[in-house]
Amino acid sequence: MSSSHELLPNLGTNENTPLPRRHFLWHSGGGLGAIALAWMLNRDRLYASSSDSRSAIAPHFAPKAKRVVQVFCAGGVSHLDTFDYKPELEKMDGKSLEGKGENLGFFGQPGRLMKSVYGFKQHGKSGAWVSDLLPKLSQCVDDVCFIKSMVAKSNNHTPAAFQMNSGFTLNGFPCMGSWLSYGLGTENENLPAFVVLPDPRGLPAGGSINWTSGFLPANHQGVAFRTQSNEPVPDLQTPKNVTASARMADMQLLAAMNREFADGHPGDSAFNARLRSYELAAQMQASIPEATDLSMETAATQQMYGLDEPANKGFARNCLTARRLLERGVRFVQILNGGSFGSPRINWDGHENVKENHDTQALTMDKPVAALIQDLKQRGMFEDTLFVWTTEFGRSPTTQGIGAPGRDHHPTAFTCFLAGAGVKKGIEYGSSDEIGYFAAENKVTIPDFHATILHLLGLNHEKLTFYHNGINRRLTDVHGQVIQGILT
Amino acid sequence: MLVKIPPTSVIVTFAIVLVALVSKSDAQVDFVRDIIPIFQTHCYECHGPEKQKSGYRLDVREVALKGGDNGEAAIVPNQSANSPVFRFVSGEDEESLMPPKDSGKRRLNSDEVAKVKAWLDQGAIWPDSHSGQKRQASTHWSLQPIKMPNVTKEAENPVDGFVRAKLLESNLAPTPEADRKTLIRRISFDLVGLPPSPDEIEAFVSDRSPNAYENLVDRLLASSHYGERWGRHWLDIARYTESQGFEYDRLRDNAWHYRDYVIKSFNEDKPYDQFMREQIAGDVLEPVTSDGIVATSLLVCGPWDQAGNGQSNKTQRAITREDELEDMIGVVGQSFLGLTINCARCHAHKFDPIPHEEYYRIKSVFEGVKHGERSIATAEETRLRNQRQKELESAIDTASQIVSSIEAAGAEQVLAKRPKATPELGPIPFAKWTFDGTPIEVMPGELKGGAAVRKLDNERGVLQLPKEGAFFQTAKLTKDIREKTLEAWVSLASLDQGGGAAISIEGGNGRVFDAIVFGEQQPKKWTSGSEGFARTKPFDAPEEAASANTFVHVAIVYASDNSITMYRNGELYGKPYTPKTQLQTFEAGDAHVLLGYRHSGGGRPWLTGEIKQAALYDRALSHAEVTKSYRAGGMSVTRSESLASLSPDQAGRHAAALAEIQRNKKLLSDLPKPPVSYAGVRIQPPNTMRLKRGDVNSPDEEVTPGGLSAVFELEQDFGLKADAPEKDRRLKFAEWLSDARNPLPARVMANRVWHLHFGQGLVGTPNDFGVSGDRPSHPELLDWLAAKLIESGWSVKALHKLIVMSATYRQGSAFNESAARVDSDNRLLWRHAPHRLEAEAVRDAILVASGQLNAVGGGPSFRPFTTTEFNATFYTPIDRPEPEFNRRTVYRINVNSGKDPLLDSFDCPDPSVKTPRRGVTTTPLQALELMNNSFIQRQANHLAERAMRSAKNEIGSAIVAAYQMTIGRNPKDEELKRAMLVAKERGLVSVCWALFNSTEFIYVQ
Repeated sequence: MSSSHELLPNLGTNENTPLPRRHFLWHSGGGLGAIALAWMLNRDRLYASSSDSRSAIAPHFAPKAKRVVQVFCAGGVSHLDTFDYKPELEKMDGKSLEGKGENLGFFGQPGRLMKSVYGFKQHGKSGAWVSDLLPKLSQCVDDVCFIKSMVAKSNNHTPAAFQMNSGFTLNGFPCMGSWLSYGLGTENENLPAFVVLPDPRGLPAGGSINWTSGFLPANHQGVAFRTQSNEPVPDLQTPKNVTASARMADMQLLAAMNREFADGHPGDSAFNARLRSYELAAQMQASIPEATDLSMETAATQQMYGLDEPANKGFARNCLTARRLLERGVRFVQILNGGSFGSPRINWDGHENVKENHDTQALTMDKPVAALIQDLKQRGMFEDTLFVWTTEFGRSPTTQGIGAPGRDHHPTAFTCFLAGAGVKKGIEYGSSDEIGYFAAENKVTIPDFHATILHLLGLNHEKLTFYHNGINRRLTDVHGQVIQGILT
Repeated sequence: MLVKIPPTSVIVTFAIVLVALVSKSDAQVDFVRDIIPIFQTHCYECHGPEKQKSGYRLDVREVALKGGDNGEAAIVPNQSANSPVFRFVSGEDEESLMPPKDSGKRRLNSDEVAKVKAWLDQGAIWPDSHSGQKRQASTHWSLQPIKMPNVTKEAENPVDGFVRAKLLESNLAPTPEADRKTLIRRISFDLVGLPPSPDEIEAFVSDRSPNAYENLVDRLLASSHYGERWGRHWLDIARYTESQGFEYDRLRDNAWHYRDYVIKSFNEDKPYDQFMREQIAGDVLEPVTSDGIVATSLLVCGPWDQAGNGQSNKTQRAITREDELEDMIGVVGQSFLGLTINCARCHAHKFDPIPHEEYYRIKSVFEGVKHGERSIATAEETRLRNQRQKELESAIDTASQIVSSIEAAGAEQVLAKRPKATPELGPIPFAKWTFDGTPIEVMPGELKGGAAVRKLDNERGVLQLPKEGAFFQTAKLTKDIREKTLEAWVSLASLDQGGGAAISIEGGNGRVFDAIVFGEQQPKKWTSGSEGFARTKPFDAPEEAASANTFVHVAIVYASDNSITMYRNGELYGKPYTPKTQLQTFEAGDAHVLLGYRHSGGGRPWLTGEIKQAALYDRALSHAEVTKSYRAGGMSVTRSESLASLSPDQAGRHAAALAEIQRNKKLLSDLPKPPVSYAGVRIQPPNTMRLKRGDVNSPDEEVTPGGLSAVFELEQDFGLKADAPEKDRRLKFAEWLSDARNPLPARVMANRVWHLHFGQGLVGTPNDFGVSGDRPSHPELLDWLAAKLIESGWSVKALHKLIVMSATYRQGSAFNESAARVDSDNRLLWRHAPHRLEAEAVRDAILVASGQLNAVGGGPSFRPFTTTEFNATFYTPIDRPEPEFNRRTVYRINVNSGKDPLLDSFDCPDPSVKTPRRGVTTTPLQALELMNNSFIQRQANHLAERAMRSAKNEIGSAIVAAYQMTIGRNPKDEELKRAMLVAKERGLVSVCWALFNSTEFIYVQ
């Protein structure tokens, strides 16, 4: 069995050893692990023919975007209090909700309809409605494409977050970044293909499960950078008690030993891959600190992101770091906004009081994300970078409990937005019903959303597969339709 | 292909379809692989097992060919143009094109249309295995009975006979046997996961006995490290995790028993059929043993969504449970049968002969299994312990009654001395709260969140609870309270409120509580509140009707027989009941009493209104006593007054009874806790219904427990009714599964063992022996091994021996260019391909080399991380030098989110993923871990010290020792020279570090 042959990199053929390319893949029995080894080998110049200088695996068709940055706002951002303006809800404020079926909330405490806790205004040439909660993002509306008819499968944070990130509500499925790493490889071998920037306030529920490569080979796993630490990746730095010159000499000894071993076992390419992995590791020791060093940025840029403002709680650093990583060819950067649990809450989970909660969260999120969009745009990076803003679900048009000021989870309608390469600017796609309860027009499921992102990267979501325990698995399971209406 | 068929542009699309047809029709189409998925996606919903519109169905061959109600043959082999089926899926007529426009289903794309056409024109070949008629023997290879193949050459190991025959067909030859140093390193890692010591290598190399190798194999198979190695392999398959995963990812402190059970089973060479039966039904297989109960942990040792199970939305909760069951069915099907039964949850299996309904028949087998800890004591152990516990508790209750009766007598004596006009007095409480300004004895308290005292007059006052958030909290209990009575006089601000409590006793900061709660589950009614409604049940009493500002007397009695009785104004309130969970003890120094507040941390826990007086009794009051207390308005003699009036005899008996209580309490707390493990709990489930499309809100017909019809040799039906006891279902399934006529388990296990010895299986997809899985490279060899496994009484160790004694296993690993040209994957086994050590073996080998391995096996896992608790558990890995952390990696706790960067970089799988074969990657992050991880640094230092010690501080010999301890050979002259230079310049530790990083160390040849 093998997994989607079309994704196997063209390794070229070494002129000195004119063996079929499959010979390099003996190592894992020619099966799944072949892909894994290929990741190393296909950027191993020793094995690439002179004409093949690509370091990435080929997409299925010409891509619009080469890389992705995703902002994931944990906890469930209220669509009704941010981007989905509902005049009808204003009129029905305080009334009972009727005729919508089973209560969808997590806590099952039905309340009354509640209008947005913020005022709404139209912005930009496109005239998009944005609430007063987000003064900076409201200046970006002409650059983005809102999808107002998103639908999630679960009303429960972790399964819903898993679905947004991996397509499945369960543990152990590869995340979008892992699929892209698997499908497209990396553009810069000195940095990981899939980098996660967790919110300095705390990890999302489930911690590292959120960037697992699941059943894909481990090299496609998201690498979580600790951007507040001087060692962004564990074990990146040479231990303090080893001097640079001693380490250099030790590395030379090791290289000599490994070279001799590889030379003594010609034909077993994995041994050469090991040699190469140490060269790349040494390069990463320099390239990761360089990529995350924000002191290289101008004061104006730092200010634009709000690096010096305590309100952003370190989140601004991550947004700026993301831009630097994208510039250096990281395939997929995921910026997490919000952790999981805290008192007061450190994410968008406004059960008790949606206004108090969203006021606090927006102070952290609004400016740095708007700055990232503006920065990508002004640097021309939107030419080949896709920007994605998501949350796991929306919040209910009713209050959680009668007379209470909070909103419960709401999976049947919420808003996300895209911007950048291949995406129409200043438009809205889909809509929710008059009170934002159900997606009404052009419903977009998460598989649709993922299919569209893969499409923009030149990948057919039905063909990006990996065989695992009886199934050719896909990010989109057996679903997904590309949203043609938002493509340029 | 990106061509879609938008309904509005049929004509244009059709043209494209034609083009596609021309180019595609040459390829041979396989019905099962290519056509069934198309039918599945587009047709079965209306023409399948559930519906047969126009009397037509495409899942049963006979009907599919013959056609539906209109009487016309629907499929004409070799003539797509004359086959109505083709017209329906490819036609130009918008009205007749299928699926219909309003069905919401996507129409076939050009690729799919081309496949259907090609299939029809190639003769519409539809294999019997998928004819759709029941009980038709499948033709699929893995479902055929195992046949012991003929073995011709008697002298040769039959394994080699089969392998050589295949090699010969391709003009290939095996590689000569590996040298002894290579062989002992290979077989040691393979069987015990640890490197051989230099002495062991030396002994083997110089052993002249013809049985040297066999003796070595026997020694390794007998080692207790063997179970640790092969147990770990099984844990990969079992998706063994020691935390919940999902949102909370809480630790499972008691999941490790299963790991020990697996290790022990391999070490004891437990017959594999028994191993299977125990993991399905060990808790009900007579005689029941602790091991048997633990074995069933297989079913529940995957992730569990605590939040999803606890949420309010019914549909979502049901989906969570269905996901859980799919995980169980998945692990059972894949581990033992090599079948992905779980793929049939929403529809018939796309490739394998597993109808939709059979998924639900198997679901019914496991429907009674739920996640959670249970006692693993045997029934007899439990009986003895319960008996002892009951004895002690009843002794405590008897002594408590003596104490109460003496105190009551004392109270009478006090009363007798008072003037006759004294009003009736109630029983003596343990603690009492009044708000009239008199000091509160025993348990004083604090007003919180806006609670206040309202003076009625000079002598009387009440506790005011004017708004949510207001309550009264007492000091901690000064003695343990088991039997108890709660009492309060309360007036409610409004009868519409709900969820607040008049009085509550809570422990563990709200984790447990008993309370008199108003209007929580039923509006306007009083209930006995408790954590998660553990001891709560409606009293079946009328609604409260007292007007605001009228005080009502409420009391709940928790008696030692576990009954709960409520009284209102001295009268019985509804019916007493006995909850399933036992009487709760609230501990001194931990628990306290709350007035106006249900429990800490609950949603909407406040009562608004007023409380005049409340009391806690450390015993169960009788009905008469409650009535007396109500009439007396809470007036009573104090305990100290009563005690002061006791005669010396009374005081003596009082003290003796107190001492008796004390003594028995100590004995009770010293009783060993019943051992518990995460083996899952059992319920008698409701009957199982098939769920249409897997949708929890679309139940269809009822199903009975059963096996797979595809296993043709066995009766599929278990002869059980839909409501059969859940244990009978699992017993029958275990029997069906492990029946030697079931061809799958022996083949699957033989292949796993082979796979783990050679790095690839005879079947490359160890968890999938179905149609979309791999075909065996050596079918006869596989059957021979499977037959031998059964013949040996399912001895896995015997299977190992058959394999590792073969010349095929023992051959060298040298690369051979001409062989690689023919068989680059080495599927024909022209050499023993080198393989990289797994994450655990890397870490364990380093510990062996450094002399730091702590060989203590079994018991709770070591936990190399710190945890942070904030509703969920967060793990921060740490590297610790203590011996506990130097145990074999199989004893590291297997949590979902607390991954170790070193192990992770060596492809240690996500614990929640069923992993029949691990990935093998080579990455820069892996290199960084070996270069810089503090564990590696520390062990390199230990290795250097150890080598120096063994070489009596002579550097050259120390280098030789370090080579032997890591890569099992002496350095060559140039290597030694180079290492000497390095060691002199930067210390031996540099050489040791390089050895740990070397390819030769990380790989086995």
